Order: sequence, then structure tokens, then C-alpha cells
Amino acid sequence: MSAPGELRTDVHARIEAAFRDAGVTGFLHATDIDTGRQVAVHADEPVVLASVFKVPLLVAFHRQAAEGLLDPTEPVTLPPGDRTTGPTGVSVLLDEVRMSLRDLACFMITVSDNTAADVVLDRVGLEAVNATAADLGLPGTAVDGSGRDLLDSLFTDARASTFGEVWARLDEPGMLDRLRALDPLRTSHSTPRDMTRLLGLIWRDEAAPPAECAAMRRLLGLQVWPHRLSSGFPYDDVVVSGKTGTLLTIRNEIGVVEYPDGGRYAVAVFTRSLLPIAVLPQADAVIGTAARLAVEWLRRP
Amino acid sequence: MNLVGHLNCFVVVAEELHFGRAAERLGIAQPPLSQRIQRLEKELGVRLFDRSSRKVELTAPGRLLLEEAREILVRVDRVYSVAERARLGEVGAVRAGLPSDLGGPIVAALIAAFREQRPDLRLELRETGTAEQIRALGEGALDAGIVRHPCDTRDLELGPMLGQPVGVLLPASSRLAASAEVHLADLAGHDLAVFPRDEAPGAYDELLATCRRHGYAPPAVHQARHPQFALGLVLAGTAVALVPRTEDAAGATWRPLLGEPITWRTSCVWRPSRDPDQARAIADFTAVATAVLRREAGMAPLDAAPARRVVQRPASGFLA
Repeated sequence: MSAPGELRTDVHARIEAAFRDAGVTGFLHATDIDTGRQVAVHADEPVVLASVFKVPLLVAFHRQAAEGLLDPTEPVTLPPGDRTTGPTGVSVLLDEVRMSLRDLACFMITVSDNTAADVVLDRVGLEAVNATAADLGLPGTAVDGSGRDLLDSLFTDARASTFGEVWARLDEPGMLDRLRALDPLRTSHSTPRDMTRLLGLIWRDEAAPPAECAAMRRLLGLQVWPHRLSSGFPYDDVVVSGKTGTLLTIRNEIGVVEYPDGGRYAVAVFTRSLLPIAVLPQADAVIGTAARLAVEWLRRP
Repeated sequence: MNLVGHLNCFVVVAEELHFGRAAERLGIAQPPLSQRIQRLEKELGVRLFDRSSRKVELTAPGRLLLEEAREILVRVDRVYSVAERARLGEVGAVRAGLPSDLGGPIVAALIAAFREQRPDLRLELRETGTAEQIRALGEGALDAGIVRHPCDTRDLELGPMLGQPVGVLLPASSRLAASAEVHLADLAGHDLAVFPRDEAPGAYDELLATCRRHGYAPPAVHQARHPQFALGLVLAGTAVALVPRTEDAAGATWRPLLGEPITWRTSCVWRPSRDPDQARAIADFTAVATAVLRREAGMAPLDAAPARRVVQRPASGFLA
């Protein structure tokens, strides 16, 4: 019979080994939302948020809606042409779009729509997002710009004019060093522990009034991506809600896993791959694997 | 007053000729920076800058004092770094990591060439893989290393990238040894012997991905830390080995791979040193090491990273 301390070491070692086998450096925090029991692997290190920044933005948006500072049903017209680069959602549409702010927030979370996110960010304001993070007790979290700003910084640092070109030149010596967007000290950043705290607040109705928290949970539950957190929990009766973050060698997802017995766990996994390769299924899948190792440990009596 | 701190502010403002940018570089706000410059001017009894609303310029005394101030700051840096090295017991030495499969003659040539170049310095070599070298460089336990790419070289300096085509070591009796070049797909069904993944995970993953992509999915991979062990597996007919050009041994034959699908990329890597003596020692070591790798290990400089084509998929696209 092992002491709890030994089991803990064991789960840490297994999570580290899973990261190593997948060729990534990994950072993880997982916590039982109701008991506070936790697993931490480099959980207080600063990490690059990438699209995970859309979650604190979502929370700030809903808090402003609750305070009456904005009307979530207000329609916004987006002319064609002037769109933030991105692989999904309004970013790839060709014609004029008219949507409410909250539907833009929906695309921002469910398909990581960058144009939608930048419109929401414009409305909410960067300062308000950071003030929300500070107010909610997330000292390691800061959002320092929009999706458009991030792409501009990448082009400047890589001396490239398309995102494909940045990828193609990622191999060049010193390139990874030069890109501010991949350095947690020089771009929007957080820590795994801050992010599970934020998810816990949303799931316990503490991040905003209950109706707003329910709306946020709904959106995170509608996220489409199956390859990361979700892949670790291939069970029909388990709910996985989450938000990915993807930027070159950075692959992240934060989310909540809910079991039919009522157990619910907030997990934040941030990775950085050694190989400068865009399609790296093992690096996506290890996010699910590491999360499952952590959640299974949290579920042991 | 903290003269060194104030001189540092003076030098940064003199370099930027802009109080806002200088303050940003120093990580302080602009008003305290202006106060420090004023206090320094009072202390020295001369105006250092002409400030107009549009621009900041060095005065004649400012120009005179700039060089002096720089010299003092360099000396101060040296005091700290010499103290640090003395504390860590590393005066007069370069501590370098080398991959374990480099081979005896190359290690000997490296030591001899460095001894000739810098007889005044001790060279401490440690046989260790890329991943461990990167970790040790980050912790300050090594000054320089020779690593196989890709690896995480953030915060480190890199020497020229050297390429080494990888071929296959086969039993001399293999029917594949009859052709001048071997296609990776022709190796199907053979076990593979290759360096251990721990040594250089990036290069290992890249090598296996390339094998699979070219139609060779080894039924088993034997991780051989030492080239002699890989050779043993080849001679026994247990596996083929993917290694750079190797002299034919009795019973084993090296053949290039058709189309050179695999190239090992190697470079020197080091920690930037603020101490000029130590920086020169490291530069001498890496120059010698690069020259020896080119001369003795058949590595050739790669001008630029090979152009890669990356097709965007939504799930791996910008900010997905």
C-alpha cells in the first residue's frame, strides 16, 4: 500500500513521461472543482496563452453584460475584406456579416474565430480584460493585444508577410528566439493554475452572475475540436468543455471534464513542441492523455 | 548616490537619445529617469544632454564622459562575472558537452586543436546528449556544447549549422548492399538501430517520421548509445543502422540513401557571457569545434534552412 505522497509523485512522473514521449514540454494543472484537490506539473510557470486568451475575454464580456455596460444582443455589421486572419468562422467568410455580439462570442469560443474575438475585444477593451483577471485573483495572467496585434508581431519578428512563410522559416537558427509571440514574457500569458482557477469560478457561478456563467459553460461545451482534451476522455457519458490555444509550436487546451457521478475537474494543459511541424497528432493527443492521468488520479478515493 | 546605476542610465539615454525609449529599456518610468540624469549632471557639474522639445542630444562634455562611463560599466560587469566564476570554481576553463557518438578520433582532434589555440585554458569535456546539454547550459553547468537539431535553443547562441547526410549500415551480405544507393522503403521489414531518443528527442522524432513517410516503418527500434553497439546489431543481422558515412568494417557496408532524405543538423551552442575573457574563450572553443567537425566528421555548412512547405489546416492554423 503506497502513501498518498508516493502516488502523487507517481502521477507527476507519468504525466512528465507522457509529455516527453510526445516530444513536448508540458505544463499542467488539474483540480477537483468541488474539493480543491489538485495535480500540478510546472503549474506556476508562465505559459503562452495563444487563443486561450479568449476565455478571460469571454468572462470580461459577460461581466460587462451583467453590469449593463454592453448589450450582448446588439447587432454588429462586419464588412467583407477587413477581417483578422484566422482559419475558421467569420475570418474565412467572403461577404458582409451581421451578427449579435454574443453570437460573435459564440464563434470566438466554439471555433476560435479570430475576427469575432477581435470585435468582442474592441468592445470590451484590453484594460477591462486585465482588470477582470486581476479582480478574479489571476496574478499570473495578462492579455497584451488582439489577434491582429499578435499576427503583426509575428510578421515583424519573422520578417515574413504570410503565416505560411512564418511556418516555413521556423527552422532557421534563432527564429524561435526572435518571435515575441512564443515568449510568455513578451506576449499574452498566464499559468496553468490561474486558468483552472478561472474555470472553477465559471463552473461554481463565481466569475459572474449565475445566468452569465451558465451561458459561458454552454459555449465552452459547444467547442468543436476533438483532438486534444476531448481525445483523453472517449466516454459517451462524460462532458468535456474547453478552449484550445494554437500558435506554431504552442498547443494548449483548458477545460472542464464532468463525470455522471457529479465529479467535475478543471484542467489546463499548455505545451510547446520540439519539432517545428504543424501537423503533430501526438502533441495534440498528449493534452488529452495528460489530462486523463491527472483526472483519474483526482478521482481515486 | 549610486554612481554606477546613474552612469548606466546616462549610457542608455545616450544610446537611445530619447528618454521614453531609454526608460523602456531600463524598465523604469520616465520621470525617475529624468531625475537621475539631473542628479548626475549636478554631481558632475556639467550638462550631459541638450534637451529641446523635439530631440535629445549629447553635449560636448557628455560625449567625453560617455566613453569613460562605458568603460566603468564594462569593468563593473567583469567584477561580477569574475566573482561568479571564482565562486563556481570555473576560472580559466571552458566546460563543453559533446554527443557520445562523436567518435574517438574527432574528440582527440578537438582537444588537440583547442590546446594549440588556447594553451592557457583548461578544457573540460563531458559526454552528453543534446537534451542534457541544453538543460546544463540553461543551469550554467556548461559553457558550450555540440547539439543535434531541432532542439530548444532559446536564450542560447548558435554557431554555423552543419549538415551530415545519413545513410544505412547493412550487413555486407545483404542483397541491398549490392546497389550503390538504398531507398528507405527497401529497408521495410528490418529492425532499426539508431541513437537513443533521450540523447536528442527532436532529431530522433524527425528521423523516425521521415522513415515512415518514405515507406519504412521499422518493426522494432533498438536504441544504441554507442556506434559499436549499433554495428554489433548490424553484424548479427538483427537490424540495420541509420548513421552518417562510416568506414566499411569487416562484415558491414555503408550505403547512402537515395535522395538524401535524412540530414543530421549539428551546431555549436553556447551561453552568452558578459565577461569578455570568458566570451573569448567560448568563441575560441566553438570556432575550433566547428572547424574540427567540418574537417574530421564530414559535416558541411548548410547555408539556409531547407525551404519547407507548410499547408494550413484549420486545427493547426493561426490562433485556432
